[in-house]
Amino acid sequence: MPRIAGIDIPDNKKVKISLRYLYGVGPTNALAILREAGIDPEKRAKQLTEDEVAAIVAIIDRDILVEGALRRKIQQDVARLRDISSYRGMRHRRSLPVRGQRTQSNARTRKGPRKTVAGKKGVKELGK
Amino acid sequence: MSRSAKKGPFVDEKLFKRVAQLNERRAKSPLKTWARACTITPEFVGHTFEVHNGNKFIKVYVVEDMVGHKLGEFAPTRTFRGHTAKAKTA
Repeated sequence: MPRIAGIDIPDNKKVKISLRYLYGVGPTNALAILREAGIDPEKRAKQLTEDEVAAIVAIIDRDILVEGALRRKIQQDVARLRDISSYRGMRHRRSLPVRGQRTQSNARTRKGPRKTVAGKKGVKELGK
Repeated sequence: MSRSAKKGPFVDEKLFKRVAQLNERRAKSPLKTWARACTITPEFVGHTFEVHNGNKFIKVYVVEDMVGHKLGEFAPTRTFRGHTAKAKTA
């Protein structure tokens, strides 16, 4: 079981798939890494030699932010928007959609579970 | 969709001139402006702008982190006072 970038241990899948188990590595990055390391993307992860694993680790360390470092960067970027009290920062503070989506309906990912308001149009009398 | 790099950032020319003048005289006085779409350039840092929000002018003190954003991002145009509190049931 190869071990890449700290904690993550992908396995029985093709390398191009198992690399995506790292936070911050998607389809594009996975293929780019393998192209640079000169490894066949269709190969299974368990068939990697130690040299190949080392090559992958080296490329990731050098080029891409993954896992904790990436999470930290995202946190900082959001904190920056909040601190300068930009419109986007305000939307983050209120946990509403940031990129101009509608909020009269939908936007449930940001707003969380529905909070039903009695007496509002469209709401049938609930209970008593 | 972001703006074409070929054109460079949009900076309101008149406003930019006024800032340049202030920098020359090393002066700092609030600048009233309606140019909400104007990108904040490094020259703007340290100045105070009064950005129109459609109703009145909002004071915006520009710090370094704001470079690259637009002036309008810091002068909200909408008021939301919250929903009315639910009437207490006796």
